[in-house]
Amino acid sequence: MKNIIFCCLISLLIFSCKKDKTTFLPTPYTLQIPSHFPDMIIPSDNPMTVEGVELGRFLFYEKRLSGDNSMNCASCHLPTASFSDPNQFSTGIDGIQGTRHSMAIINLGWEDLFFWDGRKSSLEDQILEPVSNPIEMHQSWKKTVEKLNADNEYRNLFFKAFGEEGIDSIKATKAIAQFIRTLISGESKFDVMYKYENNMSLTATEQSTLQSIDVEEWAGYDLFKSLNGADCFHCHNGPLMRVKKFSNNGLIPNEINDKGRAIVTNNPEDNYKFKVPTLRNIALTAPYMHDGRFSTLDQVIEHYSSGIHMSPTIDPLIEFGSQGGVQLDAQEKYLLKKFLLTLTDQKFLNNPNFQDPN
Amino acid sequence: MRYYVIIGIISLFSLISCKKNNPNPETKIDYLEIDMLPFYGSNGNDLLELDSVYNTPEGYRVKFTDIKCYFTFLSNGSTLLSQAAYFDFREKGNQLLRVEGDYSKFSSIQGIIGVDSSLNHDDPSAFPNDSPLNISNAGQMHWGWNTGYIFFNIEGKADTITDGVDNLNHSFSFHIGTDNYDQPFNFSNLTWVDLGNNTHRLQWKLNMFSFLHTINPVDLKTEFLTHTGAGQQTLTEKITSNFGQSISPF
Repeated sequence: MKNIIFCCLISLLIFSCKKDKTTFLPTPYTLQIPSHFPDMIIPSDNPMTVEGVELGRFLFYEKRLSGDNSMNCASCHLPTASFSDPNQFSTGIDGIQGTRHSMAIINLGWEDLFFWDGRKSSLEDQILEPVSNPIEMHQSWKKTVEKLNADNEYRNLFFKAFGEEGIDSIKATKAIAQFIRTLISGESKFDVMYKYENNMSLTATEQSTLQSIDVEEWAGYDLFKSLNGADCFHCHNGPLMRVKKFSNNGLIPNEINDKGRAIVTNNPEDNYKFKVPTLRNIALTAPYMHDGRFSTLDQVIEHYSSGIHMSPTIDPLIEFGSQGGVQLDAQEKYLLKKFLLTLTDQKFLNNPNFQDPN
Repeated sequence: MRYYVIIGIISLFSLISCKKNNPNPETKIDYLEIDMLPFYGSNGNDLLELDSVYNTPEGYRVKFTDIKCYFTFLSNGSTLLSQAAYFDFREKGNQLLRVEGDYSKFSSIQGIIGVDSSLNHDDPSAFPNDSPLNISNAGQMHWGWNTGYIFFNIEGKADTITDGVDNLNHSFSFHIGTDNYDQPFNFSNLTWVDLGNNTHRLQWKLNMFSFLHTINPVDLKTEFLTHTGAGQQTLTEKITSNFGQSISPF
C-alpha cells in the first residue's frame, strides 16, 4: 500500500509541472507603414505574422471559398482596379447582382467601420460576410472549412499561421484580414506633394518624383483644398485621403431608394449617408459613388460642380449645395482632374506581394 | 518511517513547485473625468440634443448636427492634467476627458480652447495613438499642417424663413482654427464629484443658446459660414468669442 502511494506521488511530481505541448511559433510580421501615416492599430487577438499574411493571401485568391469554386475575393476586388470592381455592381455565383459598388481595398487597416453603411466594426467581421452571402460567394463557412480541411497544403498553412492544428472560419478571416492590412498605398505622387508641403524629408526617389510634378497638378491640389475652389478637402484630407464619417453628398436617391447608414442606425438623420471613401487610386476605381452611378471622374467632378441635390440630411459641408455645387469652370475641372490622377500609386498596383500566389 | 518522510517531502514539493508568483499588491489608480454638457433654451436648463429642432428668439427653427472642440494644455499652474482633450458630441457623447490623476491637485484648471500653436503644426500622424491629436482620431478636425487643427466645429441646419413651412435646409457651419483664434480659459473653485470606483468628475456647461443668441447674437440667415478664412474675419471673431464665453463650470 505504501508503495502504491509512493508511486502515485512520484507520478504526481513528474506530471504536475508538465509543459504544454510544443507548438509552432509564427514569425512576427513588420508592416511597412509610410513615414507620413499614423500607426496602424492591430487587434490584439490577431497579431500580424508572416505566415498569417501568406495564408491570407492564398485565401484571398482561393476560389474554393465560393459555392461553385468560381469566385474568390479578387473576383470583386481586382488588383488591377486597386482591389475594387470595374463593374457597377458585382455579380455573385448565382448570377445575382448586388446593389452597391464593391469598395476599393486600400489602407483598410486604418478603418473602424466597413461597408458603405458601416455595418461591420472590424475587418475580420467584414470578411466573414461575403463567403456566406447568398448573392456573393454563397457558401456556408462550414462547407468552406470542409473544403480547406481536405487540402493538406491548407492544413499546413493554417498550422503555421496560428501555431496549432485546425481550420475554422475565425482563423480564415483573421488570415485574410492580416493580408488585407498589408495592402497599404502611400507612394503616389500625391504622397510626395503631401510630404513636400509639410517639410518632411524626401528620399532621392521622392525628390525625383517631386521634380516631375507639374504646375497643373499643383494648381489642382490648391483647388482641391480651396474653400472657394473645389472644396474637396473637408471630406478627403490627410495622408489617408478621407475622413471617418458618413455623409450625404448630394446624390439623388437611386431607384431602390438606398438610405445607406440609416439602414444600420434606424435614424432618419442618417438617411442617404454613406461612408466617405479614400480617394487613393481614384483613377482606377471607377465606377464611382456607393451605387457606381458615375463611370468617369469627369462625371464625379460635374456632380460636385453643378449636380448637388439638396435634401434634409445633406452634409452641411456641401456649402454651395443651394446653388447646385461649387461651380467650377472648364479649366478648374481640368486642373482638379489632373490632381486626382496624382493619387495613383503604381507601386501599390504592381506590388508582387499583393498578387495571386498561384 | 522513511516512507512517511519521503512522502512528506514529495507532497510539500508538489504543493509548492507550481506555485504562481504572488501578484503585485493592487495599485489604486484614480481617474478624473470631465464631461461637457451642451444646453439650449433661454432658461439655460434644457439639455441640447443633436438633430432636435429648437425655436430661436428670431422665430427661426434650428438644429445642431455636430459639435466638436479641442482643449489643450489643461493644467493647474505647472501641474499638467492633459496635453489635449477632444469633445465630439455625436461620436463620444458628453465625455471630454478621462485620465489618471489626483483630483485634489486640480481645484483650478487653465488651458487653451483650441490647439496651442506649439502643437498646432506638428505632424498629426506622429502624436501617440491614444492622443486626440493623432490624425486617426482627429479626422476632419485637421485641415493640414500649415493651418493646423479646427479648434471647434459647430454645424447644423436652420429654417430662417418664417413662413410656417418647416424646411430646415439652410446649413450653417462654423469651423474655427489657426493660431490667431485659440483662446485661454481659467476655471477656478472647481468641485470634483466622487463617482466611486476611484473616479472623480467635473461637468462643464456649453450653453449653445448663449452662443447663438445672447452673447453676440448670430443671425443664421446671414451669418452662417466661416472657415476662418481671410474674408470671414468679423464672423470668425464673433463666433470665437461667443464659444469661449459659452463654456463654464457646471
